[in-house]
Amino acid sequence: MKWIKLLLSAAASVALCYILNFRQGQVPPLGKFLNPFAGFWLNNERMDDLPSELRLPGLDEIVHVVWDDRRIPHIFARNDHDLYFAQGYVTAHERLWQMEFATHGSAGRLAEIIGPAALEYDRFRRRIGMVYGAENGLKAILADSLVLTNAEAYAAGVNAWTQHLAYKDLPLEYKILDYHPEEWTVFKNVLLLKYFAWTLSFRSNDAAMTRARTHLGDKAIDELFPILPPFVDPVVPPGTTWDFKPIRLREPATKQSSSNPFGQRAVESAPSAAATQDEQQFVGSNNWAVSGKLTASGNPILCSDPHLGLTLPSIWIEMQLVAPGVNVYGITSPGAPGIIFGFNDSIAWGLTNAGSDALDWYELKFKDESKREYWHAGQWRSTTRRVESINVRGADSVVDTIIYTHHGPVVYPENEKPFDSQVPVGTAMRWTALDESNESIALYKLNRARNYYEYRQALASFDGPGQNFAFASVGGDIAIVHNGKYPLRQNHQGRTISDGSDPSDDWQGWVPHSQLPFAKNPSRGFVSSANQTPADPSYPYYLGYSYAPHERGARINDLLKQKKQITPEEMLAMQNDLLNLHAKKLLPTLLSLVRSHPLSEDEKTCLRELEEWNLENRATLIAPRVYESWWGELYGMIWMDETDSGRVAQPGRDVTTHLLLNNPASPYIDDKRTERVETFTDLALASFQVACSSLQKRLGPFGPAWAWGKSRSTNIQHLARMPGLGRMKLETNGNHNTINAITTGAGPSWRMVVELGSSIKAWTVYPGGQSGNPGSPHYDDFLTNWLEGKAYEVLFLHSADGQHERIAARTLMRGGE
Amino acid sequence: MRHILLSAAAMLILQLLTPFWWWIMVVPFFFGFVNGGSGWRSFRLGMMSAGLLWFFAALYELLTASKIIAMRVAEMLSVGSPWFLLVVTTLIAMLTAGAAGSTGYFLRALLRSPETLSNNKEG
Repeated sequence: MKWIKLLLSAAASVALCYILNFRQGQVPPLGKFLNPFAGFWLNNERMDDLPSELRLPGLDEIVHVVWDDRRIPHIFARNDHDLYFAQGYVTAHERLWQMEFATHGSAGRLAEIIGPAALEYDRFRRRIGMVYGAENGLKAILADSLVLTNAEAYAAGVNAWTQHLAYKDLPLEYKILDYHPEEWTVFKNVLLLKYFAWTLSFRSNDAAMTRARTHLGDKAIDELFPILPPFVDPVVPPGTTWDFKPIRLREPATKQSSSNPFGQRAVESAPSAAATQDEQQFVGSNNWAVSGKLTASGNPILCSDPHLGLTLPSIWIEMQLVAPGVNVYGITSPGAPGIIFGFNDSIAWGLTNAGSDALDWYELKFKDESKREYWHAGQWRSTTRRVESINVRGADSVVDTIIYTHHGPVVYPENEKPFDSQVPVGTAMRWTALDESNESIALYKLNRARNYYEYRQALASFDGPGQNFAFASVGGDIAIVHNGKYPLRQNHQGRTISDGSDPSDDWQGWVPHSQLPFAKNPSRGFVSSANQTPADPSYPYYLGYSYAPHERGARINDLLKQKKQITPEEMLAMQNDLLNLHAKKLLPTLLSLVRSHPLSEDEKTCLRELEEWNLENRATLIAPRVYESWWGELYGMIWMDETDSGRVAQPGRDVTTHLLLNNPASPYIDDKRTERVETFTDLALASFQVACSSLQKRLGPFGPAWAWGKSRSTNIQHLARMPGLGRMKLETNGNHNTINAITTGAGPSWRMVVELGSSIKAWTVYPGGQSGNPGSPHYDDFLTNWLEGKAYEVLFLHSADGQHERIAARTLMRGGE
Repeated sequence: MRHILLSAAAMLILQLLTPFWWWIMVVPFFFGFVNGGSGWRSFRLGMMSAGLLWFFAALYELLTASKIIAMRVAEMLSVGSPWFLLVVTTLIAMLTAGAAGSTGYFLRALLRSPETLSNNKEG
């Protein structure tokens, strides 16, 4: 009897101990986690505190960190080494988990933390060469002693914070997922930069375009995917002359016929999908700079708002870095030394994604099943193999062998299903992000640049991801460069899958940095970009075909052309502009087609809403809900027949809108799947009716639930999508084609307005907060202002000693033992 | 009561000095083994000492600095409110410490008992 009791009691104890000490599926190890002496209860507000004095072996001299009332650290060091050491230390204190998780994600190492569920994600990362590319990036850093020293100092700073962390001090996510931080390395800096390259330049619709070519023919392709789409106002003002002698390209040796383009095998054997409109427009950005001629103060103003997937902790951390030779303020991504968007005491800059094509696919002919050799330039060339070992938590490691050609890796062999459906199987990938490059030196120089010349010099080493860098200086210059390392290609080369055996389909070198599209002090008095086509067709090089639709760029230029005596407040308001230019163009025509038809009462209510609409995508309005649904239905009705139900590339919004307004009798409008011939009027009416009835089905009877903000809300998820740690169902303004480009999960990840006078003034905000600790009030404290379109005036300090009412705390860091 | 406070004090010191949560099992096991009285009394000793300790420690955190994190974790674990999270924390401590306490007593009882020997022989 007694031993039965013992057995039962002991079994219960052991089972409880086991369950509570280890993670159970999604549930954290509850014993450890709920322990009020070391568990989550301690991830509270107190974790934000740093002592007023710290002894940090590794520092050469004293460093002062001044914290302002928004928890922005202003770091004052006496040399570069200490500056980056302190930046690493402070960043790790605020955002350690995030910076490590991002680099694990970049390197395809999430299965180590999460388990088998992340295996295919990791495999995909390895297959596209993220680690290979980062190794190449590291080579460049190892060869550059200046960058290397700074990156090592940054890593030492991160590790100085991490090495003393006890379990109770770990960021919350480590306790939830039950693992420990590892040593920070220079390699992780590179992985982080590659992560950006992936987010911003790993885009390809080549498989879907290859299908479109067979399906529709070359003539239609040229019509539907023009180099300069209608309505678009390019980044570089049209009429700009190019005063250089362009490099002559080899003639393409192969004249492919559209009935049998290369890559058929690759695109037919796998069900890869075309990117939808929404996928193509998920990320974007705006920037502009106005010359002093147009501003009230006579000083140039620079504005920048990059649109990215929004997460908590925020992708950015804001800070000021001061040392001899540098005083720079702005944001960087935790894990990257220096400042990526910002200003110093002489210049300001902001980035938007260039969108030029950095990624091509090559169909291959292997000699045999072993894939040891492939045909190229009339001979068999050897492949190489790269072995990747993926550690999986709670399971055996997985070894993955990837075949490399001179083009690049074969991402998925023909018999495998790609993790990313845009990857054409059996092809080799050529992607600029895998080449050796040194963006770190570019950022280092940019942070210290004092004028246009130094700014251009700095950007010469910023290979990728390609960005439109807008610029303004205290000296009075404004400029924009469509910057990056772009391959020399024939017109439209790489738009479809290329022939991997023909050397004339290889890239022919690079567009020289001095010949990139750029504008400096244009006569109109401003420069701007919103991810649109970089230059008009007079520009001698082909850079790509898939850029953002015209609306944001055109709206920015329209507004700037009307303005005089511009103030920073007006610029901030402009970043929050909600005018839907697409509706302004198309809605009057749509309404005129539908108005005269007999409509149901519900449809009349919807119509009335649209008739009275001020054309703003404002959260409180119902009209934008109706309009967006209407447009979505209409677009589908026009193109679903031509695009094989979305399997082939879908024409852009600009081409479609232009077609409707200027060529409503076009045969594209008719739905070829039906017997009768539909007119634009038929489609407008049908799509309106479908939109109204499906909205009713989804949202109930016409009423407050239909409001744009409610029915299309925005989720700012936690970076690892942990429930409770994000901010969900935010009723936001805007959509992807308004300047304030907030969508369901993306939007302005930073808004900055800088006035470059004798003393620099700046206003900033981002949708998050400085602290990565979900238990801190600073985890998401900027969000309310961001939602309301307000920004904070920046405290730009010139010395560590000054008194200011907004200084909240100071930390003194000393070196020595 | 004295034993409960003694046990809670021992746990408190061990928890402050080390990061391990399972002291709330080890200590009641020890108390149950050395001076349990009965299975239920040993269970109660563990339950009360660990429950009180974790309740007041978590309550202190909740009232001083942990309101935000408790709200987020309550949502994450789908337990509703920070107060309910406090209850869950306390219940888990009570249950595990209680089980460990009675295990300590039952082990001691088995080792002490004369019939153990005879049972073993029969077995």
